[in-house]
Formats: sequence, structure tokens, C-alpha cells
Amino acid sequence: MHPTTLILSSSLILVIAILIYPLLTTLNPNPQDQKWAITHVKTSVKIAFLVSLLPLMIFLDQGTETIITNWHWMNTAPFDINISFKFDHYSIIFTPIALYVTWSILEFASWYMHSDPLMNRFFKYLLLFLVAMILLVSANNMFQLFIGWEGVGIMSFLLIGWWYGRADANTAALQAVLYNRVGDIGLIMAMAWLAMNLNSWEIQQIFFLSKNFDMTLPLIGLILAATGKSAQFGLHPWLPSAMEGPTPVSALLHSSTMVVAGIFLLIRLHPLMENNNIALTTCLCLGALTTLFTAACALTQNDIKKIVAFSTSSQLGLMMVTIGLNQPQLAFLHICTHAFFKAMLFLCSGSIIHSLNDEQDIRKMGGLQNLMPMTSTCLTIGSLALTGTPFLAGFFSKDAIIEALNTSHLNAWALILTLIATSFTAVYSFRVVYFVTMGTPRFLPLSPINENNPSVINPIKRLAWGSIIAGLIITSSFLPSKTPIMSMPLTLKLAALLVTIIGLLTALELTAMTNKQFKITPTIPPHHFSNMLGYFPAIIHRLTPKLNLSLGQSIATQLIDQTWFEATGPKGVSSLQVKMAKTVSDAQQGMIKTYLTIFLLTTTIAILLTMI
Amino acid sequence: MTPVHFSFSSAFILGLMGLTFHRTHLLSALLCLEGMMLSLFIALALWTLQFEMTGFSAAPMLLLAFSACEASAGLALLVATARTHGTDRLQNLNLLQC
Repeated sequence: MHPTTLILSSSLILVIAILIYPLLTTLNPNPQDQKWAITHVKTSVKIAFLVSLLPLMIFLDQGTETIITNWHWMNTAPFDINISFKFDHYSIIFTPIALYVTWSILEFASWYMHSDPLMNRFFKYLLLFLVAMILLVSANNMFQLFIGWEGVGIMSFLLIGWWYGRADANTAALQAVLYNRVGDIGLIMAMAWLAMNLNSWEIQQIFFLSKNFDMTLPLIGLILAATGKSAQFGLHPWLPSAMEGPTPVSALLHSSTMVVAGIFLLIRLHPLMENNNIALTTCLCLGALTTLFTAACALTQNDIKKIVAFSTSSQLGLMMVTIGLNQPQLAFLHICTHAFFKAMLFLCSGSIIHSLNDEQDIRKMGGLQNLMPMTSTCLTIGSLALTGTPFLAGFFSKDAIIEALNTSHLNAWALILTLIATSFTAVYSFRVVYFVTMGTPRFLPLSPINENNPSVINPIKRLAWGSIIAGLIITSSFLPSKTPIMSMPLTLKLAALLVTIIGLLTALELTAMTNKQFKITPTIPPHHFSNMLGYFPAIIHRLTPKLNLSLGQSIATQLIDQTWFEATGPKGVSSLQVKMAKTVSDAQQGMIKTYLTIFLLTTTIAILLTMI
Repeated sequence: MTPVHFSFSSAFILGLMGLTFHRTHLLSALLCLEGMMLSLFIALALWTLQFEMTGFSAAPMLLLAFSACEASAGLALLVATARTHGTDRLQNLNLLQC
């Protein structure tokens, strides 16, 4: 067999085997030693990352993609289900990136969760999540994708509710599961439609046969699934609430890997959507709405993790917009670059939070530039990459997306919303950096500020290198399959940069005004709209349960108790009969013996008459 | 008439007279009613045998089933009377008498 294919397939299967091995060691009934998390889990992820670089290099050199079908698992009546891994350019690029980010996060978590007695279990959950995510991105059929999909959803629930003694954490975990479930309805509907009409769950067969069908219904299902998993508008409140989980969870799940699963699904199944304008327009408008709404909500949040969460949501909306533009590769590029700087932003937040003794409110931070130089520097690098500063990682993907937006034939409203959201990105990123690192300290004097542990600094430094050079490396290695439009007017070319600079200048102006009393009373309604997340959770989380409960109550009370039992059921029959009996018995006198005697007399006379 | 014919006819008439001429207790009226039903049961069974109509064999069973329902309704009324009036004597059932 040709050595290239042999190395490629075996190293990819080896990656998955390396990740599963530590999970198998937990099946041992003997208790694990204290350092199992570090010796087994982190080492396995590091080795898996290094092994996964092999297929990446082979792909870079020769462009080989592979589909590995292992085992015929089951047979539903019309079609077979196999265990089948598809390593095309999406999975081959995403897997090393996910493993790199996870490696850094695990190393950070060994410092962050150091005092937690259940640290081994925490690492096991993170590893289980990672395995589910790799299964999801490498799935060649919808069944395996569904397994990965549900796996990441459940692990998200378990990890968000890690500190389950806290009521807010339990609520947030439940919220995550419920909103994801609503999205799962869409995925299951799409799978059912595909099984019924295309008679297969294999991606190749779906692509081949979909040209003959009108794919609007399953595509709406898939978009619903992406709305749930990737927190698009309508199913978005779970993502900011998910910040109740520990910071490594937020860094891994809710910034780099799990929330991009929905977008990844749409990227994977993009050939189905290419010609369907309804689906494309839905993606475009939904993504534009999401990105603006969540960016607007991020402007007035005071919890550092919530700001980064809304930033994630805004970038997910941008990815959805890109899919709506028929540019799945740009969306994928943004997923890859976004993973680096968003994970780094979360790790920096975690370092700051621990150093200030679990303080998460940015109004109580400040002046950390001199006290935590490495962390605040990387925070700044991450924020600059997020806003699309030229030639950092975010620039290559974000600028390409905005250029594609400006030169496509599309909905002007979506375009305007996305540009406004891009400027808001600059505003809230600057707000974070200003409140955290600049100015004078507003925290308590006896804060245990210490970033000297290599477990903290090395992951952040690694991700910082990634945030700087990842964009360049990825774009210079892989050719786009759709030709980007290269010539456009200068204003359009610089649109992203201009909008970002406008946002930054506005933010600087507003900052300079904070210590001069520009207005006597603040303008309350916009601030409250933004701070209360557009009142969306306040309305929906109370209205829907209230409607359901009152419906249940009116069914039980009015329909069953008052109508069926009283008026139409047994009691209704009896009340009717009693009325009739009362009317009739008014005419009777009650002399029963007399009546019966006369009856006998009449009968006797009648019989005698017939006999004579 | 044949002796069998005479026996169930006289049983029926005697039961009917017992039902109409009952003196004190409601229960005796109900018992006479049961006797009438029994005589009718024998009459239907004899009908089937005499005329050799095998299709009619189910009729006595049906009569029995319905008479059981009717007897239970009668007994329920008896119990209700005993509950409200304290006894089943017929001179107590005079609420509607003027």
C-alpha cells in the first residue's frame, strides 16, 4: 500500500486512540493517583496534537484527503450505518488546531483547578468532550455526527454545572441543555427527511442525490440546529449564562470548539445549500441580526467573562453571515483563527480572576498593566486580533469576510448590521482593555496577584503565538476554492479597518468624557436595553413557562373538572334525569297498592275477555 | 293445557297477585317479581324445546341477564328507601300523598 495513505489513515486513527486511552484507564476500579490529570490527560492531548501534525503536513504537501470506513455497525431497513471518518481539508486542519488549543487549556486548568478535589473528574469530562468534538468534525455520516453533537451537548451540561452547589450554575446548565434541545429538533428533522427521501445518512450519497430534490425543509432544520448549538438570535441566551462554568470550560467549549459545531455542520453540508436562496438568505439575515444584537449587549456588561461570551456570540453570527454569502471556506478560516484568540482571551480572564481572588467585575479591576504584564499584554494582543488589526490572525479571516460582504450581491440590511457590529467589536474590546489594564487599581490591596507559574504563562504564550501567526500560516498554505474578488474601490477595501477605527475613536472619546460630567443624568433606556440583554431572557424565560403552566391549569380545572365531570359526564346525566323525574312525580300520589291492584284487575279482565 | 304449561302459568299469575296484593314490605314485592321472572325463564326454555327452534336457545339467558339487572336496581331502591325512611314498609312511602 502506498506509504502516504498508510501514514495518513493510521495516524488519524492513532489520534483518536490516543485520546480515548486515558478514558479507558478510568474504568479501572482502583483509584487514580492524584496527578492522573496531568500525567495522563494532558500528555495524551499533547501527543495527539503532535501526531495530528503528520496528516496536516501530508495534506499540505500532497493535498490528500481520506475517508476511513471501519465497521458496519447496524442496518436499518433501507440503508446501512457504518463507522466512517471523513478527513477532508476541514477536519485535517481543524483537528490539530483543536488539539493545540485543548492542550493549552488543559495545562492552564491544571493551575486553575489546582485546589479542586475532583480535578481528575474535571479533566475526564474535558477529554470526553474533546473526543465527542473530534467525532463530530470527522463524521462521514449523520448518525456519527449526531453522536458527537449530543456528546458535546451533554458534556457542556456537566461542565457548566461543575459547581453544582450554586443555583445559578444549575440554571445555566439547564438553560444550555434546553436551548440545545430545541436546535436538536431541527437536526433530527433534517436526518429524518434525509433518511426518508435520500435513503442514506452518508454525506457522499446525500451530496450526489440532493440535486434532484428541493432541499428547503432539511436545510431549515439544519439552520435551526445551528441556531441552537451556535447561539444565534432566538436561541442565544444560554451562551452568556454558560459563563457560570469554570474558565477552562468557557475557554474550550464556549469559545473555540462546541459553539462552532453548529457552524461546522452548515459548512460540512454546504453543497446542499449552495443553490437554495431561502436557506442562504436565512443564514445571512439571522447571522447579521445575531452579530449586531450580541455586540450591542456586550457594550454595557460588567462581567469580564460575559463580555467575552458575547464577543464569541457576535463572531458566531459573523460566521453565519459568511455561510449565507456562500463562502464556507472563509467561515472555516474564521473558526480556526477565532479559536486561538478567543481561547487566549478566556485564559487571560481566568488568570486575572484568580489573581484578584475571584473578582470578575471589570469595574473592580484596573491598573493591571504593571502588576500582571504578561497577562495584560496577551489580553491586548487577543483583543487586537479580535478586532481585525492588520496582519494578526483575525485580520486574514475577518477582513476577507467583510470584503466578500462588500462585493457580493446581497441584502443591504445584513451588510449594514455587520459593519455596525464590527465597530461595536472595537468598542467593547477597548472597554475591556481600558477597564482591566489601564488606569488606577480599583481592587482590594491584598490581592494574590501572581502570574509566575509556568502552567499559567506557557499556555497563554502559546496561544498568543497562535493568535499572531495562525492567520498567516493558514491563508498562505491553503488555496481558496472560490475565487475571491480582488479588485474593489478603495473605500470598500478599507471598510473593515475604517469601521473599526471609527469604533475605537468613539470609545476613546467616551472614555475621555467619563471624568468630565458631560450630561447631568445618563440616558437610561439604551443602557438598560443593552445591559438586560435586550430584555430577551427576562421576557422569554418567564412568558413561555407561564403560558404553558396556565394552559395546563385551565385544562385540568376548566376542561376536566368543571366540564367533563360536572356538566357533561356522570353528574350531567344525573342532573338531567333528576329534573325529569321531579316533573313526572308531581302527578303521582303514591298509593302503590291501589295502583297495583287495579293493574291486576285490568289484566284479569283482559284475559277473561279473550277466553270468552 | 299441558301440566307444564299450567304450572308456569299459575306460577306467573300467583307471583303477579303477590306483587299487587303485597301488604307490608317492599321486599316481598321484589321477591314476587323474581318469581315472575323465574316462571318466564321456564316458559322461554320450554318454547325452545317444544317448537324445536334451536336459534331461540339464547333467549332464556338474555332474560336471566336482564332480570338480574332489574333485580339489582330494585334492591338498590330498597336500600335507598331503608336509608331515607329507616324501613321498607310501604306505608312510609307516602310523601306524595295529599
